[in-house]
Amino acid sequence: MKVLFHGRLAEAIGSELEVSCASDCTVAEVRERVAAEHPDAASVLRNKRALSVVGEKLVRDDYRLASGDKLEFLPPVSGG
Amino acid sequence: MSVVARLEEHAVHPEQELAALLERAKGAGAVVSFTGVARGASKSGQAVHRLVLEHHPVLTLQSLQNIGGEAAAKFDVNHVHIVHRRGNIAPGEPIVFAGAASIHRRAAFEAADYLMDRLKTEAVFWKREVGEAGSNWIEPTETDYADRERWD
Repeated sequence: MKVLFHGRLAEAIGSELEVSCASDCTVAEVRERVAAEHPDAASVLRNKRALSVVGEKLVRDDYRLASGDKLEFLPPVSGG
Repeated sequence: MSVVARLEEHAVHPEQELAALLERAKGAGAVVSFTGVARGASKSGQAVHRLVLEHHPVLTLQSLQNIGGEAAAKFDVNHVHIVHRRGNIAPGEPIVFAGAASIHRRAAFEAADYLMDRLKTEAVFWKREVGEAGSNWIEPTETDYADRERWD
């Protein structure tokens, strides 16, 4: 599955990563897999203010991913 | 009632945005606006050469529109106006213009304050300062989050 990263996560991991996971795995499972492979990005991935997005909509950790879903991890956002 | 929410690749001109807001606000009686400007020094006092605002191709503009729409619904305002820069911003250049017009000054002040508290913590950007100290990501402070929570 294709996973996209933004901001400091993209800097640490790259803007895109192919992550293998079982069918209907959850967002939390993908996050932990990425965190295990990229320990330098783990704390940002697990930050309570980081966001997970599928199809341009925010999703929760227990969201089950379907094939073809594009998952994005967003570090804490800040404008202004 | 109208909401303008724009993501701007090039320089933001606050005087032009204020003129546009005043034009829309005819008869409103009260117009309040805020302009955020890029600083030339970091919190620790080191020189900043530029601020970089990374954005999301879809969610960034959507977040500006949502914040503008929710301000318009929450306060007794006629017009809400948000323009936010993206990309490389030099010290002294405007980052954001946020304004509101109302028949009552209090509502206009509160709406502008609310807009900025939401923008600081919820507008979909990732900011980093590039300068003397290298490249450093800037995230909202606990005070920023507390300011945001005042409105719940």
